Amino acid sequence: MTDPVLIVNDLSVTYTVGAGTFYAVSDVSLEIEPGRVIGIVGETGCGKSTLAKAIPRLLPEPPATIGSGSIVFRGTDLVKVGRRQLPMIRGTGIGMIFQEPLNSLNPAFRVYDQLLEAIQIRHYREMGWVKSFQGGERPFDYSKPPDTTTVAGSLSKIIVPSGAAEEAVRDRLATRSQFREEVLSYLRLVRINDPETILNLYPHELSGGMRQRIMIAMALSEKPSLLIADEPTSALDVTIQAQVLTLMKELIDEVQAAILFISHDLGVIAETADEIGVMYAGRIVEYGPVAEVFRDPRHPYTKALLKAAPAHYKSDGPLSSIPGSVPNLSRPPSGCRFHPRCALARDVCKGDTPPLAPVDPAAPPESRHIHRSACYFQSEVPGLP
Amino acid sequence: MGRSPGDLLIFVLKRLLQLIPVLIGVIVLTFICTHLKLSGLCNAVYPHASKAVIDACNAKYGAPLLPQFVSYITNLLQGNWGASTLGQAVYPAIAADLPATIELVLAALFLMIVIGIPLGVIAAQYGGRWADHLVRIFYLSGWATPTYLGAVLAAVFIGPALGLPTRGEYSTVVPPFPQYTHMSVVDAIIAGNFPYTVDAIEHLILPASVLAFINMGIATRMTRASMLEVLPLDFVRSARMKGLSEFWVMYKHALRNALITTTTVLGVTAGGLLAGTVVIEEVFDWPGIGQYAYDAIGGGGSVANFDGAIAVVIVFAIGVVVANMIADILYGVLDPRVDWR
Ligand SMILES: Nc1ncnc2c1ncn2[C@@H]1O[C@H](COP(=O)(O)OP(=O)(O)OP(=O)(O)O)[C@@H](O)[C@H]1O
Ligand code: SF4
Ligand SMILES: [Mg+2]
Repeated sequence: MTDPVLIVNDLSVTYTVGAGTFYAVSDVSLEIEPGRVIGIVGETGCGKSTLAKAIPRLLPEPPATIGSGSIVFRGTDLVKVGRRQLPMIRGTGIGMIFQEPLNSLNPAFRVYDQLLEAIQIRHYREMGWVKSFQGGERPFDYSKPPDTTTVAGSLSKIIVPSGAAEEAVRDRLATRSQFREEVLSYLRLVRINDPETILNLYPHELSGGMRQRIMIAMALSEKPSLLIADEPTSALDVTIQAQVLTLMKELIDEVQAAILFISHDLGVIAETADEIGVMYAGRIVEYGPVAEVFRDPRHPYTKALLKAAPAHYKSDGPLSSIPGSVPNLSRPPSGCRFHPRCALARDVCKGDTPPLAPVDPAAPPESRHIHRSACYFQSEVPGLP
Repeated sequence: MGRSPGDLLIFVLKRLLQLIPVLIGVIVLTFICTHLKLSGLCNAVYPHASKAVIDACNAKYGAPLLPQFVSYITNLLQGNWGASTLGQAVYPAIAADLPATIELVLAALFLMIVIGIPLGVIAAQYGGRWADHLVRIFYLSGWATPTYLGAVLAAVFIGPALGLPTRGEYSTVVPPFPQYTHMSVVDAIIAGNFPYTVDAIEHLILPASVLAFINMGIATRMTRASMLEVLPLDFVRSARMKGLSEFWVMYKHALRNALITTTTVLGVTAGGLLAGTVVIEEVFDWPGIGQYAYDAIGGGGSVANFDGAIAVVIVFAIGVVVANMIADILYGVLDPRVDWR
């Protein structure tokens, strides 16, 4: 396997507000290689968005604090990067699609100008016209994701319609019409039927689904090597949700970036992701290849999630049938945070936090990609009703 | 959604039409307030005048209001705005003085925009930290400075210290070119006279700076407040996520939205500034309408000019109304969600 684009190590994020300290993300570790899709599921408030925004250091600090851990993106620990350097790793480096499509576009600018800006940022970086990120192991080459052989080729071929256009953009100063063509090509990429008209509209003249498509186009147009999609559909109408999801699924195959796909919908993760991380109260409680986790869940919480979800796992509120309530993250339960709701809970569960241990005892414990569960009694989980 | 150039024309024309009833109202109100039958009015206005002047005054202002109003309006519309006690016609004087004041106000507004708005952005960006506090100290000290004190301090200490002129529009009383617009810098530019353009700008700096400094708080505070409203919005985060530097996030994406409110407030303020220049014009010997107003009410020992005073009040009121209208139009232009039709 190629080098990971992103390695998150024991990341902890807290919010300090008047009401106290919220332990929104605790000891989360992840690794994503180019072309791989990692899905994160969890009920509302479990810290998914906090994790997503912590990676490009987009959290408002304060109230958020990255307490410990590292976020190594293409060889650079983003936790240590100064504020002034941060913009340089965003966009062309890390792209993000947000949970809130309705207000994510600037109401004062036309769609065209907002897309053009994104494309220009990438273009200027590729041409070396703006200062590139320093401080990593090597200077940032914005034109290529880290693994040049597999990823760069497919990225440029698919996103920009023809190789000739790509060359032209690279070799000489791109003219207005070339930029315009590129903007149009991205609108077509996200299956917008009448891009010429849409270009001249303001965000308030567009529907929610349309706005989210444009946000997706904007993120893709910068050709990020890591794309974070934070519940890209949950704020949309159900019918629109399905359309945008289909689009996302198609694009995941086309854009060979490393993708972190966040959702509270198990079905979506099952269809899109290679690996799944199940979050509960700020921690990843189970992790592994999607098929394995779905076939043989080894954490009582995952098991309950799967059982609560109706056929083909689709559900809006999968947790209604799990007894007990979501813990308050300002006073998380001791030890295993799931113990107040767990059928298997014993005294030991209230003591130390169970480690994310391999399900197969023979597996190398340091691997980030094997099936692991943070439960002292994971071998008993298959026996649960 | 109507936002084509044609729609904009309709939008502006509508605003102009709406101006008419407001203007009539303003003139009526001003007229009533200034023509109320007060006993001894004429004695008060012209304390040392001859009996003939007092009698003429009484005859003019003692008559019933309605016929007076009709004749006043008729005269006003014909460009006859009355005359001073010494017989100097009001209208030409105001027509010559108002542009100088407008020039002063525009210069002050310019300074408030290029200094006050960025300060407001900085204050919002570093809300609660020392930069925010420094900015607040700056604009509060401007606000707390009495106009007269500020103007005199600038004229006596700052001007000479910086080598800036402190009196009048030009170094010579009458410039060697025709004054078409009665705006000192504009006239010099029209005449193509470079030394005089520089000279006019130098003369403008001090009075405009004092006016701007005193009113800076309006621009800064308004910008700060609306920036604080805009900064937590989702699109600001999207702009950051694009990879834009904090400078562009602030001054392009956030400020563009915050300006919608700030512009409106500045427009309204501009109307008020027109009337706020009286003291500054007097101190800096700026030949504007403020100085005319000061003289008209008998300031500086000049002979009172009642018709002139009324005309000035009307002009100031119109200034406020027109500034409001411009603010309204700018709002419609800046906010793409406003339908022009
Ligand atoms: N700005 C903030 N200040 C204080 N606490 C916050 C802030 N943002 C989030 N939190 C807390 O952090 C926890 C995690 O929030 P987060 O938004 O990451 O959840 P989520 O999993 O994305 O939920 P959802 O599915 O609703 O989007 C929540 O309990 C929330 O109360
Ligand atoms: S560690 Fe204990 S409480 Fe936590 S899930 Fe396992 S059995 Fe339940
Ligand atoms: Mg969220």
